[in-house]
Amino acid sequence: MAKKKARRGGGEGALSITSMMDMMTIILVFLLKSYQTENVSVAASDDLQIPISSAEKSPKLAVNVVVSRKDIVVDGEFVIDLEQTVDENTGGQTIVVPDDEKRGQLIAKLYDMMLAKAETAKDLGAKTGSEDFEFKGEVLLQVDKRMPFSVVREVMFTAGQAQFGNFRFVVIKGSG
Amino acid sequence: MSKGKRNMEAEELDLVPIMNLVTILIPFLLMASSFVTLAAIDSTLPAIGPPSEPSDEEPEETLNLSIAITDQGYTIMGSDAVLKGDQPDGQKGPTLPCKRSGCDTPDSYDTKGLTEMLSEIKDRWDDEENVILVPESQIAYETLILTMDAAREDPSKTENDENGQSRKKQLFPNVVIAGGAQ
Repeated sequence: MAKKKARRGGGEGALSITSMMDMMTIILVFLLKSYQTENVSVAASDDLQIPISSAEKSPKLAVNVVVSRKDIVVDGEFVIDLEQTVDENTGGQTIVVPDDEKRGQLIAKLYDMMLAKAETAKDLGAKTGSEDFEFKGEVLLQVDKRMPFSVVREVMFTAGQAQFGNFRFVVIKGSG
Repeated sequence: MSKGKRNMEAEELDLVPIMNLVTILIPFLLMASSFVTLAAIDSTLPAIGPPSEPSDEEPEETLNLSIAITDQGYTIMGSDAVLKGDQPDGQKGPTLPCKRSGCDTPDSYDTKGLTEMLSEIKDRWDDEENVILVPESQIAYETLILTMDAAREDPSKTENDENGQSRKKQLFPNVVIAGGAQ
């Protein structure tokens, strides 16, 4: 359409896209910038609803433990499935870690994986000798808001046993 | 040479392909850039160690503030005292019972009342920054987060920070989560 018109009018009547290009370039740069700043990503779904909180601190990158209603995932790697059962006391739906995955309160597979992560992080810290890579035992916890505390406690306990003692609960920033 | 002449004659740079590219990139980036900003709440595991030897010296008075979250509401505990709430029927219950009986949803917990009460406690113990949360097993994670929010700051009051900047009154920002009752 524009081409036709341009040909007919000898260029004078052509749609000027330049101003629109200016605008779009600015939007593009803005979006690219806001795209980069997010260093922790949450794949929100029906099974993973992150609670809203009035917390201000921004999350730093660390070992990422995602506890959704279905399963536990560490840094994108599947660890175990969770089990939906009926609570004996209240009769309502609840979520538990399957008994055969547990050693006491410890979630065995999660422990093995976290321990491996801790070892890798420590190796890295020792080899680089840099303070940035020093192992601080930080772990980011993304937990579904309907998760009962018993599961959260078991995950925290397991992480604690695997030398991860600093927890960061990931929340969505809101008015609270 | 003749090619160059032909290009010179072209009225304007053809921006349409770039426009195409940009119009595709913008929706894509709009989708990818989430406008929900994330935040993090720091918490540490309670240090496990042998109980300290009782000494003859006068022990320093500490608050050891803890909040038990049960299916009836909040119970606030100090060093050796439990704040009991008075129930209408004369029985002792949690310090802050739920707004609705049953505490079936996270928002039925009296977080406002908790903030007010902690604000009063903070006025008396203004150096204290720690609070221990003791939730029961079936308490939903969201309730935990709401309680941490309520214990962190009092949005109705302001104070000045170290740099003289005004901010919301800080209550007990260091949250430790205890094992809880089985």
